[in-house]
Amino acid sequence: MEEYLKIEREKEWRVELRTKLKNKERTTIERVQMPGLDPIERIQYQDREVNLGLDEASAITEASRCMDCVNPTCIEGCPVSINIPKFIKNIERGEMHEAAKTLKETSALPAVCGRVCPQEKQCEAQCFYTLKLKKEPVAIGYLERFAADFEQNSGSISVPETAEKNNIKVAAIGSGPASLSFAGDMAKLGYDVTVFEALHEVGGVLKYGIPEFRLPNRVVDVELASLEKMGVKFERNFIVGRTASFDDLKEEGFHAFFVASGAGLPRFMNIPGENFNGILSSNEYLTRVNLMNAAKSEFDTPVLRGKNIAVIGGGNTAMDSVRTAKRLGAERAMIVYRRSREEMPARVEEVLHAEEEGIEFLNLNNPIEYFADENGRVNRMRLQKMELGEPDASGRRRPVVVEGSEYDIPVDVVVVAIGVSPNPLVPSELPELKVSRWGTIEVDPETMQSSIPDLFAGGDIVRGGATVILAMGDGRKAAAGMHQYLQTKQNNLVSEPSAIKNAD
Amino acid sequence: MANLATQFFGLELKSPVIAASCSMTGDLEQIKKLAKAGAGAIVLKSLYEEEIDTQLQEELSQRKALEPDPEYLDYFDYIIKDENLKDYTGLIRQAKQAVEVPIVASVSCISQSDWVLFSKKLEEAGVDALELNLFLLPANLEKSGEANEQFYFNTVKKVLEVVSIPVTIKISHYFSNLAAMIKALSETGIAGISLFNRFYSPDIDIQNEKMISADVLSHASDYLLPLRWTGILSSQTSCPLAATGGIHSAETAIKFLLAGASAVQVASVLYNGGTEAIAGMNQEIATWMDAKGYDKIDDFKGKLAIRDKHVALYERAQFMKYFTQKDF
Ligand SMILES: Cc1cc2nc3c(=O)[nH]c(=O)nc-3n(C[C@H](O)[C@H](O)[C@H](O)COP(=O)(O)OP(=O)(O)OC[C@H]3O[C@@H](n4cnc5c(N)ncnc54)[C@H](O)[C@@H]3O)c2cc1C
Ligand SMILES: Cc1cc2nc3c(=O)[nH]c(=O)nc-3n(C[C@H](O)[C@H](O)[C@H](O)COP(=O)(O)O)c2cc1C
Repeated sequence: MEEYLKIEREKEWRVELRTKLKNKERTTIERVQMPGLDPIERIQYQDREVNLGLDEASAITEASRCMDCVNPTCIEGCPVSINIPKFIKNIERGEMHEAAKTLKETSALPAVCGRVCPQEKQCEAQCFYTLKLKKEPVAIGYLERFAADFEQNSGSISVPETAEKNNIKVAAIGSGPASLSFAGDMAKLGYDVTVFEALHEVGGVLKYGIPEFRLPNRVVDVELASLEKMGVKFERNFIVGRTASFDDLKEEGFHAFFVASGAGLPRFMNIPGENFNGILSSNEYLTRVNLMNAAKSEFDTPVLRGKNIAVIGGGNTAMDSVRTAKRLGAERAMIVYRRSREEMPARVEEVLHAEEEGIEFLNLNNPIEYFADENGRVNRMRLQKMELGEPDASGRRRPVVVEGSEYDIPVDVVVVAIGVSPNPLVPSELPELKVSRWGTIEVDPETMQSSIPDLFAGGDIVRGGATVILAMGDGRKAAAGMHQYLQTKQNNLVSEPSAIKNAD
Repeated sequence: MANLATQFFGLELKSPVIAASCSMTGDLEQIKKLAKAGAGAIVLKSLYEEEIDTQLQEELSQRKALEPDPEYLDYFDYIIKDENLKDYTGLIRQAKQAVEVPIVASVSCISQSDWVLFSKKLEEAGVDALELNLFLLPANLEKSGEANEQFYFNTVKKVLEVVSIPVTIKISHYFSNLAAMIKALSETGIAGISLFNRFYSPDIDIQNEKMISADVLSHASDYLLPLRWTGILSSQTSCPLAATGGIHSAETAIKFLLAGASAVQVASVLYNGGTEAIAGMNQEIATWMDAKGYDKIDDFKGKLAIRDKHVALYERAQFMKYFTQKDF
């Protein structure tokens, strides 16, 4: 790996590019600002992307801030080790397609990751500017998005080459980022891949969770089209475990399975009054708005609209829900989070955007009870103030109750976004599958193989709740693991009459 | 045969020997055995807010290797508590189905909101009574005794506001004016007080010069501390008392009934002698009562509680020569 990075770095064009500008000049350039829609305007639309993306000139300027370090620490911050300097230097020299290709060497969904990765905790946190110069890091995320969008908009998207078909059928369960990247890699290796998706829309959380104002559907659709061109088949409205069982699928000739069914089971706090009408999970809230057109007035569902909307939680899901609430017309859209802004797990940019949009933050507040009107519709919530104590085992300061600090506020919709548990359907169908106390599937971290040899798993069903990039990385690891497994199996079977290839 | 019925936890109990809250009473199979052995009531293992937090910390520390998303870490803040409550209420439901004997839930929290939340949930699950395992180690140099005492009153008040089943409390003896405190607590509307809880105690291993845990189980002479206070207080409190700590035999249990306790709570004896120990104690209490000609507990309960003539006996403390028969 290191060797490869070094060879790439010593290529003539990179050496030459480095001499074009002195590092001193590079470091005096200010970090680019992401152009975006005006907050007042954008909160009128659920489907208009807030960030507009960089233009070519500012992307090149930003790319020239990168000093093409000898020791590119940024790569260590990337869960899938994208060759960051290489793609950025390609942008600097104007080779946008090359930049996109570099991203695709390791990332299956760069246009998505450029928009939703928590860069400030990953690559950008490890950038030389952040670590040593104490300056704003190179805008790696913006540049990633730029290169990926450039390719998507150019109309000449390179569909990766696929090996000769080997006619071995494999199945992916779920169509989120883990499955999509798995499917892409397996198709490249010549496998006959079918992706089974329970919903009518393919894309997993990318479609039903993350709203269009942050990740437009068309960005995902381009990737899906690309997979279809590679021969990947998608079966929609197909619930593995209900529509068909694993045994049925085996009978149909599937040799191995990749389970990436995500973590879609909503969790509640189980505090008094949580069953009242008007209190729903972020999962239900966002799915309704994103997939069922509930935002459009002809599909008006009063359940979702309110004057005073409180969203419980501080993660991306909470931010997406509260910003959606604002867009659906809430007068007061509030985040209720038991820790402080500093501990918020949401991407920093989402928190900033939410603030710009007039979201109220009731940080260091925890709901303890809900009250309802005579029709059983929530109308009030009781909050308790918290303060920060000693750091906990995650290194964040733990919230401690401030005794006697309870107070009530009016609410008519409450969205609970405290987290989700793994979808239990697949594990419950396979009693011999090893799962953790929390319902996540246990796998070998290198091969993503589960306790059932022909079953691999990745993404949120393994990690509980993670990020798009980690899910995607899991899909790629699983593809490599499964390929290895099937090859070994095939080699062991060659002498026998029913070799795996002829099985169907 | 003598009738062993008594009242505690605001309930009619068939025997004054109660299975105290301990790890055994957190297990359904043991609960069935304790019921079969004739326990007057079974107090389930305490549900501790602090323990839930410890679990949370463990979970968080394990998650580091998984390159966790903090969003997932926040999830445990809520979920571990929820899972613990679900397990506990599940145990209540199972126990209530499996046995006839009254099932009492025990709670121990730090924050008022959790006292309230947990108490409500346990009541909803169908428990017969609640025992609040109330304890603050008075080791905080910044906090006044009064502030510590306030914690007890506030907690009792909050819980009584939200539940309608009987509520009792189990406390330690760490109060500056123990008698006045217990009397005041007995007037808050609670259904009983258990004296005194036993705790984990640190000890020192002099060979290895290390801190270790002292014996978890009590010693047979430990009963002397609660005996004195049961005797002093039983006739003066507004609610019944139960005793716990070092009650290892029917003989000791009878001493407490004579001192005015309505019941005794036993734990260590169950570890030493198995659940059957309760059957043995019931049998021996009955035999003693028969021999003494007592039909029911009330016939002798409190016979040796503090009265004018016993004041000096219960309240003498220093080993003055005057009180002892032998020269030490
Ligand atoms: C609102 C929201 C915002 C987020 N924001 C970000 C962000 O900004 N950045 C980031 O990095 N991460 C974000 N995440 C997390 C990220 O989206 C997930 O970690 C990632 O999508 C997990 O991918 P996955 O492939 O494991 O599963 P998912 O994307 O959850 O997809 C699983 C799919 O499996 C399907 N399925 C389930 N069971 C079955 C079955 N039995 N048969 C067939 N199909 C089935 C489901 O319908 C679903 O479509 C966010 C998550 C949410 C909910
Ligand atoms: C192993 C063990 C666990 C205990 N756990 C609890 C508990 O969870 N809650 C509680 O109020 N008391 C607990 N106790 C204290 C007992 O309920 C009892 O009051 C104390 O041990 C004194 O009685 P004994 O001398 O009969 O053991 C525990 C005691 C033991 C030995």
